[in-house]
Amino acid sequence: MIQLILNGLIAGSLAALMAGGLALVYGVLGVFNMALGQMALIGGYCTWWLHQVLHLPLALSIVGGLTIAAFISWIAFEIFINPFYKRHRFLPLVTTIALSMILDGLILLFFEEKPRAIMPGLKHTFEVFGGRISVEQVALISFTVLLMMALAYVLHSTAFGRKIRAVVQHDHAAMSLGIRAPLLHRSIFIMSGVLAGLGGIYLGIDQNLTPVFAFPITIKAYAAIIAGGKGNIWGAIVCAYIIALLEQFVVGVHWFGAFYISAGYQQTVALLFIILFLLFRPQGLFSSKARSA
Amino acid sequence: MDFYWHIIAIACMTIPHALAYNLVFGKGKILHFGPIGVSLVASYAVVLTAMHSGSFIAATLVGILTVVLLSLFLAWLSLRLDQDAFGVMTIAVHLSLLAVILNWNGLTRGALGIPGVPRFSFLSSVQSFAIAAAVISALFVIALRLIDKSAFGRQLQALAEHEWHAKSLGINRTRAHVIAFLVAGAGALATALLFPQYLTFLHPNDYQYPFLVFFITIVVAGNPGSVYGVLLSTILLTVLKEALRFLPLPSAMMGPIRLILFGVIMLAVVYWRRDTLFPKQRSI
Repeated sequence: MIQLILNGLIAGSLAALMAGGLALVYGVLGVFNMALGQMALIGGYCTWWLHQVLHLPLALSIVGGLTIAAFISWIAFEIFINPFYKRHRFLPLVTTIALSMILDGLILLFFEEKPRAIMPGLKHTFEVFGGRISVEQVALISFTVLLMMALAYVLHSTAFGRKIRAVVQHDHAAMSLGIRAPLLHRSIFIMSGVLAGLGGIYLGIDQNLTPVFAFPITIKAYAAIIAGGKGNIWGAIVCAYIIALLEQFVVGVHWFGAFYISAGYQQTVALLFIILFLLFRPQGLFSSKARSA
Repeated sequence: MDFYWHIIAIACMTIPHALAYNLVFGKGKILHFGPIGVSLVASYAVVLTAMHSGSFIAATLVGILTVVLLSLFLAWLSLRLDQDAFGVMTIAVHLSLLAVILNWNGLTRGALGIPGVPRFSFLSSVQSFAIAAAVISALFVIALRLIDKSAFGRQLQALAEHEWHAKSLGINRTRAHVIAFLVAGAGALATALLFPQYLTFLHPNDYQYPFLVFFITIVVAGNPGSVYGVLLSTILLTVLKEALRFLPLPSAMMGPIRLILFGVIMLAVVYWRRDTLFPKQRSI
């Protein structure tokens, strides 16, 4: 049981990073980025390349990976989002599907289909309440919590955060008060790309990177957003942890003492989670129902 | 010569599915990204029943039942969710169905696929497949042209352009979505009946995400909602896809190059149709 909770916290930290960035983008730009998983993998693969191929120190490789993730996000924004999102908010949904294909192709061309680990070899694990966890995983969970606290501070206690919230509420009104909404849109998208890249680096440190991870990452982040109430960043983060815990319990529990559910079904947990929300609380866990008229 | 028949067969097997999908995504502007998931389940239902019962009639009936149930489920989701959330949800449905197919080894043989798919007795050569698929495609073109020109076609278009106004005029959104998804399911079933038989092999890799991108590109490039436009784009893009085999590149590079190429084509056609792909609400 403790082991399942620890595993859920590890997987949840990764999902929370993705979902947090994505919820911010959805809240500010109204855009669903379908290439999120691929952007995460790009961050992870570039860090792997810098660390394992160029033999740069890990910290420098991570900074390099995040810089490349930011650069790719900026390019993606200029080509796949900016020409479209003001015309119709559904257009980027289609263009980011194209982006996901292109990034998939590039990942396969440059990094191949082989599993790649940023830190291969045995991890140093220790026991916590009967469950085992590695030093890297503790660092991963702690860093996510610190990052979320920093994000909360920025959003709620700084001028930049107030500008973001003003743009979320009414971007035209915010612009009339001198806030440069287009610049903010760009910054938020790049920030989301960096968070996704960081998630990819987590994945590469904790497990192996393979191209097949991309879409499950994206879908889980969306499940968290839908369950948390679209655009509600804290709701999305909490739901990312809930989904990750559920995934661990579904495949880790010996059901009725008779059978285990195959790990291959893990990604369907997020889907079932959304369906349950649609049935009982379509507006999400942390949002009130909108007036329809 | 066989290669030309092969191109005709592949294009004509794609046409029913592409045209029917065009009714939902192109005409109805419903962000349905799960057509490949429907085709996947329909193919497995048909092939498994045919192999276990030995009867193509039973296989077709099971295929129809599967497609109807899945289409009704997708229609329900489309009525229950916002458009963009529905788009993401349908991708999740596709991936989940794929996960079930890949993991239910006892029934589907998982990633090994199912070899030795039986064929209808009249389908023995590439030519016979091409002719049968062409006849079915022609029927679909006629049927979808009739739907396009019918009251239902106009209702679906009205809902796509301004849902509230359409509903205030008495158009039943639930009925429109259910019919559109059932038609899309019929297209998926037509392809599911022929394609695995043509290859005599059913493999989950033929129903992966890149095929969805191919379908979206077909609809967007062919002018969303236009039957003849989508017919033409299906033929041209299928020829392009098959012609890529002749590029002098190592086989390991072909897959990624194809992904990148179709991604770029999709971006280009969306850019080209960015003002008409989704209807704009008049602000004044």
